[in-house]
Amino acid sequence: MARVVVTGVGPVSSIGIGIAAFAEALRTGRSGISPITSFDPAGFPHRNAGEVHTFDPAAHLRRVDPAEWGRSSQFAAGAARLALADARLDLTSVAPGRAHAIMGTTSGESAVAEALTAQIIEGGFAAQDPALLTQLPANRLANAVSEELGLSGESLTIATACSASNYAIGYAYDLLAGGEADVVFAGGADSVCRWAHAGFFRLGALAKDACTPFDKDRAGILTGEGGAVLTLETYDHARKRGATVYAELLGYGVNCDAIHPVTPDAPTVAECMRIAHRNSGVSPSDVDYICAHGTGTQVNDLVESKAVIEVFGERPPPISSIKSMLGHTMGAACGFGAIASTIAIDRGFLPPTVNWTTADPELGVDPVPNAARPATVRVVQNDGFAFGGNNAIVMLGAPE
Amino acid sequence: MSGVVVTGWSALTSAGVGVDALAKRLALAEAGQVEKGHEIGDLYEEPMPAANGHFLPSFSPREHLGRKGTSTFDRATGLAVVCCQEALREAGVSLDDEVRPRIGVVLGTSLGSFKSTSDYTRETLVQDKPYLVNPMLFPNTVMNCAAGQVAIRFGLRGANTTIAGGTLGFLNVLRYAGNAIERGHVDVVVAGAVEEFTPHRAWATRLTGVADVVAAGEAAGMFVLAKENTPEWAGTRQRAGVLAVATAYGPGGGEAAETALAGCVHRVLAKAGIDAFEVSTVYTGEVEDGDEREFGPIARALGHRPDRVMVKRLFGECDAASGAVALGVLLAEDRDARPGGLSLLTARGADGAVGAAIVRRYADGGLDRG
Repeated sequence: MARVVVTGVGPVSSIGIGIAAFAEALRTGRSGISPITSFDPAGFPHRNAGEVHTFDPAAHLRRVDPAEWGRSSQFAAGAARLALADARLDLTSVAPGRAHAIMGTTSGESAVAEALTAQIIEGGFAAQDPALLTQLPANRLANAVSEELGLSGESLTIATACSASNYAIGYAYDLLAGGEADVVFAGGADSVCRWAHAGFFRLGALAKDACTPFDKDRAGILTGEGGAVLTLETYDHARKRGATVYAELLGYGVNCDAIHPVTPDAPTVAECMRIAHRNSGVSPSDVDYICAHGTGTQVNDLVESKAVIEVFGERPPPISSIKSMLGHTMGAACGFGAIASTIAIDRGFLPPTVNWTTADPELGVDPVPNAARPATVRVVQNDGFAFGGNNAIVMLGAPE
Repeated sequence: MSGVVVTGWSALTSAGVGVDALAKRLALAEAGQVEKGHEIGDLYEEPMPAANGHFLPSFSPREHLGRKGTSTFDRATGLAVVCCQEALREAGVSLDDEVRPRIGVVLGTSLGSFKSTSDYTRETLVQDKPYLVNPMLFPNTVMNCAAGQVAIRFGLRGANTTIAGGTLGFLNVLRYAGNAIERGHVDVVVAGAVEEFTPHRAWATRLTGVADVVAAGEAAGMFVLAKENTPEWAGTRQRAGVLAVATAYGPGGGEAAETALAGCVHRVLAKAGIDAFEVSTVYTGEVEDGDEREFGPIARALGHRPDRVMVKRLFGECDAASGAVALGVLLAEDRDARPGGLSLLTARGADGAVGAAIVRRYADGGLDRG
């Protein structure tokens, strides 16, 4: 079993693009929430989201032509390009077929799907633009990464909703640890879309102005978007080329509640944490920080806290939610969590849960309220849960 | 990867529900003939691009699953859940709470139910108030809806993964599922793929130019996969062995994709320890004899031209599910009934994604295990 390390990160987010801007935003607790512009929110009572306004695909992409790829694919390719640059990796030095792209997503090219639906309403099915239909399949997210970086390994898009990029990072771990890869670009991407905004609103799970995870008065999520990709390598590959190692990917665990399409189940989530720990060779007392799924809904934060206390006892490690800053970036969420975990280890601080005002005695956790906290972070648990009861947890550790 | 065995399977195709319907359809099929599919009639109110399609006439999940829990199912979810039920039954898997955490679900798709997503979006655009959407139907807009419902229906609590692979979907599923088993995340995977027949898919198939010859189709194929030495609860017979799977990408498509496809063929042969001349049949995604975009590079990699089976001619363009239909045809067909027959399943996507799997079909009814 080869050891697996993180040597680069590529965040394309509403709080910053690239590691420097993203890390600074985490440290200062910056919010990326703003009034929605990617669709017309008129008529919606709530009109905020975590949109990425400053990403210029043409400035980031070298091989992928933005005119031929949907917004989520552009986020994916842009994030991968940043992750490659951050890793200072010369891909011509990697054997062909030994570098792979594994991407997670919830809704794939949702903005493309919405544009096509508008065309159907306007002119009937026959009026759909064939070029847009070509951009629609969700497998294009991983393919965009493979195209952009010229990768000839596996190109796989995992669509396991909001835990998808932890699923992607987990599969990448297996490829590297099992000797089938030297380098994997893994993460996720999604775009803000009208239908998710409407759906979460009708579920009563959408906050009006701000996302306030672990707060007593938490009101729900805000949708968000972006691309989050990590450069993962075997330890030997990274060492041989003299790469900077940010963190070690220790392992992961996945399971399924198999109970309800939407409502998470605390005992199964707790079991997923135990599986992740076991697969990573760590015990609960080793974990210094939990990068929460932390959506900010009443149910998620309660279930996640219950599971944490079941696994860690009455004094669990600090657990914060970067969704308070980013909104819920859906299939990219776990990727951003993994990047934040990596930064926490590398730069020695815990990202805060911003917008926090009131303790909820029912939760019994320390959400690192409002201000980043300096800390020596040796082991991080990055949580991800999804519709369909799909739990995935990735464990990261300080490099040896 | 040391390979996995298929202990049971089922397929829902335009031939009907289950293995027998598929086998019957194959027995009736004229070799090489392109089928037009069923008359669509009044299946949908919307205008359709063709009079025919490869769908399951009068398919009703309720008929197979009962009322409970099925009222919100979209067509893709219904197909997947029914197919899983049939596959578990056919394999003889004994489900209890001890084994449920050791069974995973890996399901391939192109983008889930585009109809569910698009209809939901439509409501936000045409309603007086854009948020007047049905919250009960919201989970259907998420691509992993079908896999989640499969897990809920049968209490399968292992890894639950939806793979968006388009044409490559089913090969991606086999590759991912094999890894999950080999790495010990689960003991058994119910692995398959599903696509539904809707105006959305029928029109997308027509407008993107891949349906000049065959109409859009729908299908689900689910296969119970396990290690050779898996306990008896996973089923007691081996129908086939999936000996090796490889996927790759050729940036830019074209020649790079052909090279990548040939590379996949070489890799699966090497992994399985098979001589290229032992491969007697290749199941490809093409439709016309003159189209060798997929078969050409494969034949060159093999150094000979085995029989080519093009399942889309009989069952339509089923996108991610076409690979699952191909494995179903491979397992059901009389032509490969001889023990030890070796086949390749291959796929080539619209971008540069390619893949191949090598499958050994065991004798009719399968070998007894242990």
